[in-house]
Amino acid sequence: MRFRFCGDLDCPDWVLAEISTLAKISSVKMKLLCAQVLKDLLGEGIDYDKVVKLTADAKFDSGDIKASVAVLSFIFSSAAKHDVDSESLSSELQQLGLPKEHTTGLCKSYEDKHTALQDKLRQTSLRLGNLEAVSWRVDYTLSSSVLMEVNEPVIQLKLQAKGAESGSMETTVVSVSSDKFRVLLAELKQAQAMMNALQ
Amino acid sequence: MLLVLSEEHKEHLSFLPKVDVAVVAEFGRIALEFLRRGTSRKIYEGAARKLCVPVEMVQHGVEGLMFLMTESSKHMISEVDFLDSVLVLGFGEELNQILLQLYLQHHSQIRSVLTLLSSNMPAYHNVEWRLDVQLASRSIRHQAIPMLTLRLLLTRGRDGSTDHSRVLQTDPSTLLHLISTLEAALAAMKTSHTRRILRNIK
Repeated sequence: MRFRFCGDLDCPDWVLAEISTLAKISSVKMKLLCAQVLKDLLGEGIDYDKVVKLTADAKFDSGDIKASVAVLSFIFSSAAKHDVDSESLSSELQQLGLPKEHTTGLCKSYEDKHTALQDKLRQTSLRLGNLEAVSWRVDYTLSSSVLMEVNEPVIQLKLQAKGAESGSMETTVVSVSSDKFRVLLAELKQAQAMMNALQ
Repeated sequence: MLLVLSEEHKEHLSFLPKVDVAVVAEFGRIALEFLRRGTSRKIYEGAARKLCVPVEMVQHGVEGLMFLMTESSKHMISEVDFLDSVLVLGFGEELNQILLQLYLQHHSQIRSVLTLLSSNMPAYHNVEWRLDVQLASRSIRHQAIPMLTLRLLLTRGRDGSTDHSRVLQTDPSTLLHLISTLEAALAAMKTSHTRRILRNIK
């Protein structure tokens, strides 16, 4: 069976197993649980005590709680990843055996946070070497040890970027003469024009 | 199987019958703590002062005990074999029983500590990828070059705490070749030869 929310692949076995666990809590609690899981996926952190309280009625042990949070995270993030609309998600989840009220609650929460979730996923997509900060300074060289009168402007550029492989902040300082800087600026402006044309 | 203890080892352990049974139990606890966290010289010195013996004797006794425990756990020897191996040291019955209890209670813990020492090859943890199309560069405009950038997150050692990441870039044809090679590797698990071996390992 191919499911759109799994990216046109089979649904993983563990998801099938845990959907039956989800069916054990009431649909109201289910909606609150979805809200908590969505908060976690959007980076606001999950309130684990609240989750424990929500699942206490159905007598979930810690393994069941973790499993239900995991399956909801999978469903939401996978559906957002493959840009599934909420009606398709609803019908596919019902095919997998999630009761109708639970599915309606889940899909309502999904629809509300659909755009926010996709934005968050877009932000966390792989990017190498993000440029975080640029600072510059223009100096005027008066003289040096090899030439008495230099009289040239020079730019010092400090670039702070995340290292491509290490992921930690790396600082690069370069000094650029005014001719080279003119060339650099012209090339970067051309690249910017190309980027704007694509927007 | 029986453990064969070297002469030096037996000499180190010969310190144990000379002290109280309670002290031996205490040494056992210290030895296991050291296996988990590393040795601490102060404890040796404190014990030596209390028992009025040289520090080296205490150190050798505790280290001998540690070695006995790790060797027994390593080979997963049975109770009977452990008692037989310890018999050769000529300790009293009570001491043998204490050592046996120490071994039985802690051998699974010691084994899990020992497994942490073994692997030192980086292992796959997670992968992130992005698909890009290069449209232009400084030297040439109006291109369309698809590229896949992969970041492999690897862990070193069993605990998975240290994460290395390697960044790789590939074009679609290399990617297809990579995929077919990996699928062939996966298919190798299903051959009858592999199945026969897996059946017998169980």
